[in-house]
Amino acid sequence: MQNSEELKWALLIASLAMLAMAFCMIAFVMYYQKRRFEEEKKISDIEKNYNRLLLDTALNSEETERRRIAQDLHDDIGTMLSLTKLSLNQLGKLVANSGDEKEESIMKKSQSLVEETILHVRRITRDLVPTTLERFGLMEAIEEFIHKLEEDNNLIIAFQSNTEEFPRQGQKLELTLYRIMQELVNNAIKHASCTKIDIVLEIDEEMIGLRVTDNGVGFDPEKIKESNLAGLGLLGIESRLAIVNGTVQYEQPAKGGSSAIARIPVNPASGNKPEPLHPFRRERVNI
Amino acid sequence: MFDTYIAYITKNSIFSIAVFITVLPIALTIIRKAFLDQSLRLLFCYLIIKLAIDLVMLHYASVRLNNLMFYNLSIPLFYALLSGMFYFKFTARRQKNLLIASIVGFCLFSGWDIVNSNLNLRDMNEHRIVVYAKTVEGILMIALILLYFYEIIKSLQIPNLLTFPFFWVCSGLLLYYSSLIFVAPVLHYAYTWKNPQALGMAEYIPSIFEIICALLFSVGIYHYSPKDYAKQ
Ligand SMILES: Nc1ncnc2c1ncn2[C@@H]1O[C@H](COP(=O)(O)OP(=O)(O)OP(=O)(O)O)[C@@H](O)[C@H]1O
Ligand SMILES: [Mg+2]
Repeated sequence: MQNSEELKWALLIASLAMLAMAFCMIAFVMYYQKRRFEEEKKISDIEKNYNRLLLDTALNSEETERRRIAQDLHDDIGTMLSLTKLSLNQLGKLVANSGDEKEESIMKKSQSLVEETILHVRRITRDLVPTTLERFGLMEAIEEFIHKLEEDNNLIIAFQSNTEEFPRQGQKLELTLYRIMQELVNNAIKHASCTKIDIVLEIDEEMIGLRVTDNGVGFDPEKIKESNLAGLGLLGIESRLAIVNGTVQYEQPAKGGSSAIARIPVNPASGNKPEPLHPFRRERVNI
Repeated sequence: MFDTYIAYITKNSIFSIAVFITVLPIALTIIRKAFLDQSLRLLFCYLIIKLAIDLVMLHYASVRLNNLMFYNLSIPLFYALLSGMFYFKFTARRQKNLLIASIVGFCLFSGWDIVNSNLNLRDMNEHRIVVYAKTVEGILMIALILLYFYEIIKSLQIPNLLTFPFFWVCSGLLLYYSSLIFVAPVLHYAYTWKNPQALGMAEYIPSIFEIICALLFSVGIYHYSPKDYAKQ
């Protein structure tokens, strides 16, 4: 039967064609899905980088501004105060010659006030720009910071590190670590009502770890983030870390208090790189 | 008795493989606990019912009784189970409603088709395969699968299709129904009790793809893991 034979062929061909179409369909879906995913990923990468750049710029300009203010304070007010002190000294001699007791005591008072103001201005400029950090590195800067805090609080702040000589890191990284440490310690003092703060700085081949532990009331970072309690501090820590690929973790130790660990991949300082953020580096004569 | 089965199975090896291969995805479903997922649970039901019906048909065929009644009755049942899987995959209310309407409509239609294709329903011996229902089932299933593919591409929620079980299930079904869609209407005219006509190679293609389909199901079910499903 010729006709039936042809029909069989027609059927076979039609079925095979349909199958080929089905195969193409499946292949197309797989291919297209994959491509769309890659594109999507690229876009989100670009977005992430852009956000990071924005943050970086914002933080950089904050630091630059601090430097500018510090420099203005130092150069203008500082110089004026030095001159004032000089004039006062001369005036003091005149007053001493005249021999009036009352005038003399007022003179002494003014002189000591000016001296105190000079010290304050110096302290403020040093707070604004962590010069110790830039000159001597993280360990010294942290020690100095602790020292200053211990003077006017009755707190015990302990600082440990796993190396004697902490290798210098890139400028941005050191500043990040320093500012984070500052914020964590400030938080502990402000909110935890603790009596002891432990700072641990650890470094190995890949990571730098900074741990700040207090023995205060403790807190739940998730809850803080959900509610609108969060100040700029904790958010700032996260955005600073985002720029240097770091992470932060908060823990609540069993014995109370709270503990924060920031980890950042190491990035050793490259010796002779230009440092755009250093208008304050031009050394001045100290008052 | 046993000999008759063996004789039938050896004579119709491709059909028989298509029957017994169903055990593989069933076993995998149990091993991988895939029945925890709603869609794959329906697939599991489908596989078990299909295996049961196929075994009964095999029995009828080997003792030379007309088994096409089961084939006809399985059509609406299978469609309900297979398209039901998509009920859990579609998110839009409208798609879900349309799906349910299609199941109800198709069951009525295939009922009518059975009556329409068999002038004398009582005569089991002369029972014939439905004319339209299987083809319509194929068209509906292919449409559903394509719609689902479209949703996948649009929503971009599945990072890797190759490890996504339901994609394998869909691919298997798509291939199976594509292979069947042209052959199905011809079966009505070819499979008569008194004067059956062989269709040659075209007859085997659906069975071959039934086997491939079962293998693809197995691959999909193998990739299932309960914790992935919790995520989507
Ligand atoms: N060491 C801590 N112990 C107890 N509570 C803390 C501690 N650190 C932070 N918190 C809680 O987390 C909240 C958010 O801290 P965060 O540093 O973000 O803001 P802040 O210190 O209140 O303000 P800002 O840092 O901007 O001056 C604080 O209000 C405080 O309730
Ligand atoms: Mg704070």
